[in-house]
Amino acid sequence: MAETHDENPVLSEEDDHRVFYIFNPRAGLHTSLPQEKTARPVKKRRVTSKRAWSVSAADHAGVAPHAEEETETTTAVAATAAFSQLFGGKESVEAAGLRRQVFDTAWPVLDGRIKNVLREANRTTLEDVSSFIRDAEGDATRGTRIPAGFIITGPNIASQDLLFEQLSEALGKATQARFVRLRAAGAPNLKAALKKVIRDATAQVSLDGGDGDEDTEVALGRDGRKYLDYDLEGLHAFLGVQQDSSRRVVVAFEDSEAFESSLLTDLLGLFHSWQGRIQFSVLFGIATSVELFQARLLKSTARQLFGAKFDVVQADLVLDNVFKSAIAGTQATLRLGPTLLRSLLDRQRDQVAGIRVFISSIKYAYMCHFYANPLSVLLADEKSLTRQLLQPEHIQAVRTLVSFKAHVEAAVDARQLNHAQLLVEDDGYLVRQMVEQRQKKQDYLMQLLRSLHLLTSMDLVPGRFTDLYVAALAGGLDLTPTIDGIKRLGADDVPALINRLLTAIRTGSPDLDLPGWEDEAEELISSLCEIRDEIEALAEQAQEKGQQALKSKFTAQSKVLRTTVIAQKVQLSQDTAKLTDEDKAFGKAIDALVDLLTHHIYSDPVDSLFLHEAWAYDAEAPYRDVFVPRPGTTFERALTRPHAYLGCECCSKANGTLSATLPTTCILYRLYLETGSLVNVADLWSAYYALVGEDSVDGGLGEREALVQFYHGLAELRLMGFVKSSKKKADHVAKVKWLL
Amino acid sequence: MPPRWKSTDQHDLVERPSRKRPLPADPYEVPDEDDAIPSAKRQRRQPEDGGTPSKRNATPRKQVDFLQRDLASVPEEPESPTEQTPSKKRIGRPPKARTGGTPSGKPSTPSALRKKQVDETPIKLKGISGVDTPGRRGIADRSARRKSARALIDRVLEGAVSDDEDEEQQIAREIYESSEEEEEGDTHQENLADQQAELAATTPSKTGRGRGRGGRPPGSARRKKSPTPPRDLPPHEQYFYQNKPGSNKTSNNTLSSLDLLTHEEYFSLLRNLGQDPHEKHIEALQSQHAASFPQWAFELSQGFSVCLYGYGSKRRILHQFAEYLFSSSGGSNDTNNNTTIIMINGHTRTLTFREILTTISAAIDPTFRLPSGNPLAMIQNLFTLLSSSFSQKPARITLLLSSLDSPFSPLRKPQTQSLLAHLSSHPAISLACTVDTPNFPLLWDSSLRSSFNFAFHDCTTFADHSKELDVVDEVHELLGRMGKRAGGKEGVAFVLRSLPENARKLFGLIVGEVLVAFEDGGGGGGGGGSSGAGEFAAGGEGPGVEYRMLYNKAVEEFICSSEMAFRTLLKEFHDHQIITSHKDSIGTEYLSLPFRKEELESILEELMS
Repeated sequence: MAETHDENPVLSEEDDHRVFYIFNPRAGLHTSLPQEKTARPVKKRRVTSKRAWSVSAADHAGVAPHAEEETETTTAVAATAAFSQLFGGKESVEAAGLRRQVFDTAWPVLDGRIKNVLREANRTTLEDVSSFIRDAEGDATRGTRIPAGFIITGPNIASQDLLFEQLSEALGKATQARFVRLRAAGAPNLKAALKKVIRDATAQVSLDGGDGDEDTEVALGRDGRKYLDYDLEGLHAFLGVQQDSSRRVVVAFEDSEAFESSLLTDLLGLFHSWQGRIQFSVLFGIATSVELFQARLLKSTARQLFGAKFDVVQADLVLDNVFKSAIAGTQATLRLGPTLLRSLLDRQRDQVAGIRVFISSIKYAYMCHFYANPLSVLLADEKSLTRQLLQPEHIQAVRTLVSFKAHVEAAVDARQLNHAQLLVEDDGYLVRQMVEQRQKKQDYLMQLLRSLHLLTSMDLVPGRFTDLYVAALAGGLDLTPTIDGIKRLGADDVPALINRLLTAIRTGSPDLDLPGWEDEAEELISSLCEIRDEIEALAEQAQEKGQQALKSKFTAQSKVLRTTVIAQKVQLSQDTAKLTDEDKAFGKAIDALVDLLTHHIYSDPVDSLFLHEAWAYDAEAPYRDVFVPRPGTTFERALTRPHAYLGCECCSKANGTLSATLPTTCILYRLYLETGSLVNVADLWSAYYALVGEDSVDGGLGEREALVQFYHGLAELRLMGFVKSSKKKADHVAKVKWLL
Repeated sequence: MPPRWKSTDQHDLVERPSRKRPLPADPYEVPDEDDAIPSAKRQRRQPEDGGTPSKRNATPRKQVDFLQRDLASVPEEPESPTEQTPSKKRIGRPPKARTGGTPSGKPSTPSALRKKQVDETPIKLKGISGVDTPGRRGIADRSARRKSARALIDRVLEGAVSDDEDEEQQIAREIYESSEEEEEGDTHQENLADQQAELAATTPSKTGRGRGRGGRPPGSARRKKSPTPPRDLPPHEQYFYQNKPGSNKTSNNTLSSLDLLTHEEYFSLLRNLGQDPHEKHIEALQSQHAASFPQWAFELSQGFSVCLYGYGSKRRILHQFAEYLFSSSGGSNDTNNNTTIIMINGHTRTLTFREILTTISAAIDPTFRLPSGNPLAMIQNLFTLLSSSFSQKPARITLLLSSLDSPFSPLRKPQTQSLLAHLSSHPAISLACTVDTPNFPLLWDSSLRSSFNFAFHDCTTFADHSKELDVVDEVHELLGRMGKRAGGKEGVAFVLRSLPENARKLFGLIVGEVLVAFEDGGGGGGGGGSSGAGEFAAGGEGPGVEYRMLYNKAVEEFICSSEMAFRTLLKEFHDHQIITSHKDSIGTEYLSLPFRKEELESILEELMS
């Protein structure tokens, strides 16, 4: 094989025909297991003797290092490995290491919180299911029917995994039952399903040699009798030995829609007939609805079930909670910017991507920020962030920031020329400013979160917290959306509202990990109390006077539309209903309340802050590239405009047209685009040869050489799944791809 | 153009102008002699049609339809020569005797049209390089259109269509309608109002019936495609365009004139071919990708799986990445190194998931023998092993899997994918894989994808796949040129060993005869068998030997005594696909062997020894 351009001697041809090997360049040769298969892909015959891995030989070759004294954990190793140095390699190792350290401390905190949220989210469901399974035993109405829990998980199968994991934990604890999880893919037929049930229930490492079809006998009972491993009798014997008071087995069908109905029928029938000896309970994860599921079962099977339905907390709600704790919460070291958040949330809504993808995305944003942004080092705590650590490059980088420019310009506008000049010229001054910014950032975040918390606790804003948060980051926050709501409140509602606000201030928000801030908000609290008292007093006064309820100038009832018919003409006029003194005072109090809240609920857009680049991450592109790949576009671009990747001059001339200098596959792909659903290879070849052959303008390949290239291109087209063989006509291939 | 056609068309040409005059706005000009019927119909229908008579024949198909109706319901039409047995010809199966009006038209249609079709490919190809002469094409189209109109009418009048004629009809219709499209462009404006009026005027029942035979509402007539593919269709439209029945007409050219490459020739040519002009750029691209190694390694360490996609072989990149991982894992001496990197070549067809698991377990602890069994159970055992070995020695496994989605690899199966996802979800196992097809995301549903936790990276390398692909076999398989034989030469030897002596002798005889035929025919290209030569050469196989002759020889050599026994022996060979048989045009049976000459020689040597 032409190995000429491969400058890497290790990468030998041998490697390509070994199916797998353990990579170890230092051993000279790759340390490979002795029975490595050198099967060339052409041969389809099975290599027969491939199972016996000789252990000693592998040992001899030094495959697995023996390091008993090495007790370092993997994470510790990872932690020591710093990020690559930025600033074109000029960043100091310490700074890079510190970035890594900040990441390593920041993420686990968040990760723990997220896990906690997820665990909490399913708790009610878990409790319900456990108690159902527990109580089903004593339920006399059940008869011999199998207790069946139908868990409506919704279409989001990605989140089911977590739920069933938790279920298995919770049920194991609550009922001492043995929990078996079945997935349709893992249990294609009755035998496989039973094997899995028995294996998991007995929690025995299966030692059956050979393939799944071989039936082995396992000793489960006390008397050493052997049972086939799909014989429920074996399970029965096993449970008998265990001396468990309850011989329960809970079988969970995770994706019950994916099971064949006949398999379900058979399984349930079997379980039912064993019900007297082994207490089976079943759980079904249902993505659609119980009715649809029942329609798939035979009536006789359905009659064997004794069911209850459980709802799972919807993914939306879980998402909100995760969002609150991981993104908006005070624990989050890094603030994700509005653009990124918007696209993350949209993806969750549009593509039902699952909560785990969402979490991964957050994590990836953290990774990107600390990996690629040298200024992320500023997020380190004060002890580790020393002045020495900040290199001239850091200072330089700060001065190129957009927010720096905005900050200086603002200073100039505000006639703080000295400040501006020092910022630009004096490194020490700038560093001090940077340190100050840390506090400002904290203040900003506190203000933002408190405002948000107050706003949401008023219960007057429609829309979800996530949207509100994103909007606040993007465009700032004020009271505007709620002002109308507040003004329209009646005299009874306002004190209630104020009470809610007071509680909010006192308790903070555990979701956001926001502590109460009673101490800092004394002024606000006292003003709120004053207003509340005043209004209550007014209401009392009004009642004494016999007035029904306080009205303010804002409430709808105060404006009366009068219709007067004068000389057969209708006159409309608006009249302000007569307001009593109390009403007027009430109006004033509401005005005062609005003023007060406007004063306290506000927030700026995140990008208005100096140095926000260090602690806010708002790049959407890496996220999109990494999580939502568009391979079609990528392939299309590579094949139609190869110079976009190669950057060669020869092909950029041929922009959009065919040219002999294009890589063969690209030429063939262009020709392929022109063809119908059947491709005549002979014509394809003649077209290709006309382009690159001796007679062509800029070709000049001999026929055989061109044919070699042609073969190559065609084989690659096949590899990429563009063509497949067709029997319709001789020398024709079928086109299989239209939409890239 | 065959002259025969000219004569039939002649009076069309003469009459046409006079026909055109009364109906200037009608683009759906119908060739003449049949115009008589519609116009008669028009007159008849005028009162009820609300004064838009000319629009009745808005589409040819429709016209055809009511032509039929007319023939059925209005047999008193006087003039046309084609309505001799009108009532029976509705939808008419079975074919009636040819009508007088078109004696020569029918037979000539297929050949003429096929000729045109053959010519089409070069036109297309010219179009690519930008040479197109619309003027001439327009003229050609116009006359083609007239012909096709003829063909359509003929068809209707004849009633039945045999299956093989169907395609020609299709083309005829396409040609006819495509030229409509062009003409329509000019008169489109004025037509629109008319058509709408007509639409309103048409009684629903009529159109309904008209549509029954595949016609479409008049308004959509202009969307009908032309035989030359319209450019700039969106991909999905193109799909439907290209997949509609009868549309995939390709030329009958075959590669028979071309001597296909053999492995030997391929590799010797490849060696001489010299450097790819893009070599430098490909190198640069590689090094660009190599710059992201630290990032990928970081992603792997954070529990993501890395998936590299894009055009070109990513084998080298993956290999370099393995080297990077190996050197960065800090293992300057083996004792320090707790990261095991396992490379898996996904493109090999013999890979099984079980072997991957066994390798992993051997890498963690060579003394542990993973009990084989259900892969899922094996994974569980593996995980147990991993967690138990955590206590003494942290193991970290990095799987580097190339060509995860290779169509030949068993890894592509959904079950394997879910197992792999399960495997990679273990914190101590990280997975980096490469994929080669553009539609790889379809391999995983959202649940699988979230347990894989993929980070995708565009890794277009433009490197050639020569290592992963056996190019010659791939192409031959694609072309159906590789007879499914029992594993080549060795396979034959294997098969023969299990056969009785007689069979071995017979095979030796066949090989000898075929080799003689090779000599006679001067190698593979010429072919040996007298009349079957071209055929066999086209099949990419050796020349054939005549069955009868072979039988006689076999009897002479006392291999068999009856034809029955001879057949039985041959059947065994057929079953193992080590011989093939063909019949030529006069029914003589030829036997040939799907091997190259050199292979045959070595087989013979083996048989003789």
